[in-house]
Amino acid sequence: MRKIVKDHLTKSFLYFTIFFVFLMPLLKLFFMSFSGMDGIGIENYVLLLQDNRTPEAIYNTMFIAVFSTVLSLLLGGLFAFFIAYTNIRKKRLIELMVLAPFIIPSYIIALSWSGLLDTGGVLQMSFTNLHIPVPNMYSIGGIVFVMGLCHMPIVYLSVLSTLRKISKDLEWAARTSGYTTSQTLMKINFPLAMPAFMSGGILAFLAAIDNFAIPAFLGISANIPVLSTSIYEKVISFGPSSFNMAAALSVILSIIAIGGITLQNLLIRGSSNQDSMQEDFSARIFLSEPRRRNLQWGCIVFLGSIDMVPLLHMLLTAFQKNYGMQIAIDNLSLYNFSFLANNHGVYQAIYNSAILSILTCVICIIIGTACAYAKVRYQNRAAMVLESAASLTYAIPGIVIALAMIFHWGKIPHVYGSIGILILAYSTRYLILQIKNSTTAILAIHPALEEAGKIFGANELRIWKTIVSPLLLRPILTGAFLIFISALTELSLSSMLASAGTKTVGLFIFNLQQGGDYNLSAALSVLIVLIVLLAYGIVEYLNRQKTC
Amino acid sequence: MSLRIEHITKKFDAATVLSDIDLEIRDGEFISILGPSGCGKTTLLRIIAGFLTPTSGEIKFNDRLYASNNYSVPVEKRNLGMVFQSFALWPHMTVKEHLAFPLQSQKVQQSKDVENRIIDKILAVTGLEKLANSLPGELSGGQQQRVALARAMINKPKLLLMDEPLSALDADLKLSMRQEIQNIHKITGATILYVTHDQSEALAMSNRIVVMKDGTVEQFGTPEEIYGKPQTLFVAAFVGRHNMISGKWDGKQFICKNGTAFPAVPPAECFIEKGICPLRPEELEVNRDNIGICVEIVSKQYNGREFLYTAVDADKKTYHFYAIVTMLFSAGQKIHLTKKSV
Repeated sequence: MRKIVKDHLTKSFLYFTIFFVFLMPLLKLFFMSFSGMDGIGIENYVLLLQDNRTPEAIYNTMFIAVFSTVLSLLLGGLFAFFIAYTNIRKKRLIELMVLAPFIIPSYIIALSWSGLLDTGGVLQMSFTNLHIPVPNMYSIGGIVFVMGLCHMPIVYLSVLSTLRKISKDLEWAARTSGYTTSQTLMKINFPLAMPAFMSGGILAFLAAIDNFAIPAFLGISANIPVLSTSIYEKVISFGPSSFNMAAALSVILSIIAIGGITLQNLLIRGSSNQDSMQEDFSARIFLSEPRRRNLQWGCIVFLGSIDMVPLLHMLLTAFQKNYGMQIAIDNLSLYNFSFLANNHGVYQAIYNSAILSILTCVICIIIGTACAYAKVRYQNRAAMVLESAASLTYAIPGIVIALAMIFHWGKIPHVYGSIGILILAYSTRYLILQIKNSTTAILAIHPALEEAGKIFGANELRIWKTIVSPLLLRPILTGAFLIFISALTELSLSSMLASAGTKTVGLFIFNLQQGGDYNLSAALSVLIVLIVLLAYGIVEYLNRQKTC
Repeated sequence: MSLRIEHITKKFDAATVLSDIDLEIRDGEFISILGPSGCGKTTLLRIIAGFLTPTSGEIKFNDRLYASNNYSVPVEKRNLGMVFQSFALWPHMTVKEHLAFPLQSQKVQQSKDVENRIIDKILAVTGLEKLANSLPGELSGGQQQRVALARAMINKPKLLLMDEPLSALDADLKLSMRQEIQNIHKITGATILYVTHDQSEALAMSNRIVVMKDGTVEQFGTPEEIYGKPQTLFVAAFVGRHNMISGKWDGKQFICKNGTAFPAVPPAECFIEKGICPLRPEELEVNRDNIGICVEIVSKQYNGREFLYTAVDADKKTYHFYAIVTMLFSAGQKIHLTKKSV
């Protein structure tokens, strides 16, 4: 009798916590959007739609999302094709360069490109000398371009694995039916890879509408509103009903996001399960010598210019004393770095970000792995509910989550304004990544391994300690590392939830750039890129160790 | 009119996968390429298809050069049909679309009517009329392979290549599919190259069999020759499960180690040289009078018709022989084996 009562209480407690932490903030936000100075109604929505800026923001959001997705599909699909099928060499290097825009925070990429093409820059002067119009990064085109680059890896990863899973037999059957290699690619491979293109495209689309960093860095000063930055602007304007208006904007943005996710779920249901198929890593298209080398180096040069040139320029800018001066040896100095080194705020920001990331990782690992284990081994209902709730907080754009957090936790003392709310926001946002990662890791452990332990007399705890944990350690830690990096460089959540003492690195760089201190923001960005690359190097090294 | 495989050698970096394969295949023959895994049979088939080029040697079909070490006619121009172990059906096309696909690749396009007529005829021949609008995922293994066969022959190719097409099917399905393939051979009159590791398939369907091991041809002959007159030790062991009895040959007599002698048809040179008499399990019988090779029973397998016994002699050599179900022996029992008198 007591056990049943205890079970019920635990279950109710769990469900209540999930509801309280994940769902209530969003519900509150939804209701806030309907309340205003004159009570409950759709007044906020009406005002928003009457204001010219809102329809413009909605239009811009969709336009940018669609066209950046097209760019990501083109580039990502093309490189996936080259890497999966052709016989070029240095594939590891090329893949690294394709994935680089994913690893490096998007605002740093935006920063490096805007710096590269800015007035007074080297590139701009050569363009004007050659009478070519200089592209302006602070424009819709600029935002589309940078976003397309940043999300190219999403499409690449989705399409690459599918291309490799198409069995060579299917191509050979077409060849023996009388079709050339290129005809086979169009009639067999392309249709079979279509689902991967579509799901990659939707993921890129969702990332685009969610993105706050790029339109913030490039769009705010050029007065190009999108929904994510409009929400931000409403919140920081602190007008009488600005929070409610921001809530209304958030609901609009969420509707677009949920539309995209529903579309994605429909697609997943329709496609056949290809997860069980083996990937074929061997080359299928053998290019003859000058062609192969040309393609190979063409890829390297193109990606090198896209990735390296802006970053190198940012590196030089970091060493520049004053912005806008010629980049010459006598103008370089370590002034910026020494300024940063002596700035208390920088240390504070790095410290905050580091603590946040580590704590988020720990919380996500514990809760995420427990949830995944309960779901996989015991089909625990509460775990499945948690997973759905966590999916929601990842699918809904970051800026919306941040606002919802303000509404929900704002009334509770000691949470808003402290680092606590950031920890809560990060954890609820990234939890699903860890649940998914742990689920994959646990599924790889055959239940028989644990059952064998039980037969030989080990209890639950001992099984965990000696059998399950060692097997889970590597995959979970590598997955958690990715959460660590994302949390470290994150901007959307911290832009709204950080206060004076809890600034994060991303926010600090943002403030520097908005304030006009380009050299300083460049210098800090260089440091962050180094840390990120170092962290990825460690993850790669550990992964390679595992396969030995 | 024939397929000439002239001194084909294939090397992958340092490893030699095929060495000096030289075969002449007559028009309309059903040739099985039989061998264990890794013997190079699939590599040879891929070279003939055009997916690989030979390191040296030439492939000629009807006196037209198909491949040499620096020249290769593209696969799509070789007028072949090919059937794969994995069926290789395209998941996004219906059965009808599978059959229309090869027809639409031809330079000279037929009218829709002609195309449909050809497809309907093939569907009838292979018994697939009711499944014309089904997707591969909705078909059973046997049905999928029939679609693959139909697709391979719809363009009336002169050469049909089959890479272990029945390996993925159930045992009883294999037997019925063998008949279908023999039927196809009769109808199309095409030259068929059939790769398999299953000796019973090769013996049942072929005009001639190429037995391969480690990249070389061990023997090339009719099924009766391969089964009844093996020319090498490997062929004797691989086909027919011959027992290698050691002793000495004296003309038309074979004298075993323990002195027992029996009359036997002299086999190929390599056996006479090594003093081996290859005898198939059905050629041995248990001798009631304790004359013959003394062996100890190790195990038995019942197959409904008879028992297959495994036994070892004093030198730990293994023997296989059949015995009718009424003669029952148990493990550990000692008996004597002699050659059955014909």
